[in-house]
Amino acid sequence: MEKDKELNHQDNIGNSLEQDRAWAESLLNKQNLSQFNLSTTEAPLNYFESFPDQLMNRIESEKRQKLEKKNAKIFFLPSFMQPLNRLAIAAAFIIVVGGSFIFLNNSVSKKTQAGIVANDISIQELSNEEIESYVDANEWIAEIDVQAQMQKENSKLSSLDEKQIEEIQKIITQ
Amino acid sequence: MASDQELIIQFQASINREANFTALLNKHQQKVYYQIKRIVTDHADADDIAQQVWIKIWDKLDGFKMESEFSTWLFRIAYNETLNYIQKQKKQGTSHSSSDILDYENATASTDSPKSTEIQIRLDRAISQLPEKQKVVFMLRYYEGYDYEKIASIVGTTIGGAKANYHQAVKKVESFIKQL
Repeated sequence: MEKDKELNHQDNIGNSLEQDRAWAESLLNKQNLSQFNLSTTEAPLNYFESFPDQLMNRIESEKRQKLEKKNAKIFFLPSFMQPLNRLAIAAAFIIVVGGSFIFLNNSVSKKTQAGIVANDISIQELSNEEIESYVDANEWIAEIDVQAQMQKENSKLSSLDEKQIEEIQKIITQ
Repeated sequence: MASDQELIIQFQASINREANFTALLNKHQQKVYYQIKRIVTDHADADDIAQQVWIKIWDKLDGFKMESEFSTWLFRIAYNETLNYIQKQKKQGTSHSSSDILDYENATASTDSPKSTEIQIRLDRAISQLPEKQKVVFMLRYYEGYDYEKIASIVGTTIGGAKANYHQAVKKVESFIKQL
């Protein structure tokens, strides 16, 4: 019976606003319902008068914040793509690469010069046996070294005058 | 007084945007606020949500195609924003909807309106315990007198669904009052 009654009520829902209200009031009491409405439709004094200004200020400040964020993004992130900055980055890259190339080249030439000096000393101090065993192990390198030495000696000889040549010949014949 | 449609057309045409928006705001702000406050009950919460609703309206009004009434669109946004707000509060554990019923009763009892009776408190509590959708449907139908088509659009349901929600809301409140 109760279920049938409920179904009848549900069927009647939506026929008219008055009917819907009357049905709710029959179950929940009209006075209480209007009292509830009063309590939920209260707002602090002058709230609605001040609300538009407050809202527009908030909209304005949010707009400003969004703009600042956008500007900040343009300054920091996409700056990589700015033409001036691209040039600066390219220049820095060239300086780093060029600088390291020059530095490395210098140190290599210094090393080779030091190596030649060391070789000069060691050749003079080493015995023939030691030189021969070295030449056997590093024949082609030694060949280059010997040729370089010979060229040096030749150039020394060519720069000698007659007196010096005579002295050398004397030393050899002795 | 200009209609909603006229105000929106002018706003979208960038003619006195702020003035036209403020006119819309003045026309509807009370109903929006009350709709929200009926769900969250706390003024600070209702104010916060109302501001968020109107900021959203400001941002999206350019794209409003007037396929539905402005008020339907507005109340739908208000409804969704309120639900989002409640969900966020529930996640943070600061929901006012059920835990602060006593505060709410004290607040309503201390207002200038006639003193709350026992049955009044029961009714307040019963309505506050309704699911949000049923609560909103009941409020919009009983207090605002909206037709079910509009209510269905606002809460995102069918006309039949809105009618069923109204029926269930009244029956639930009745049984809550009897139980308390």
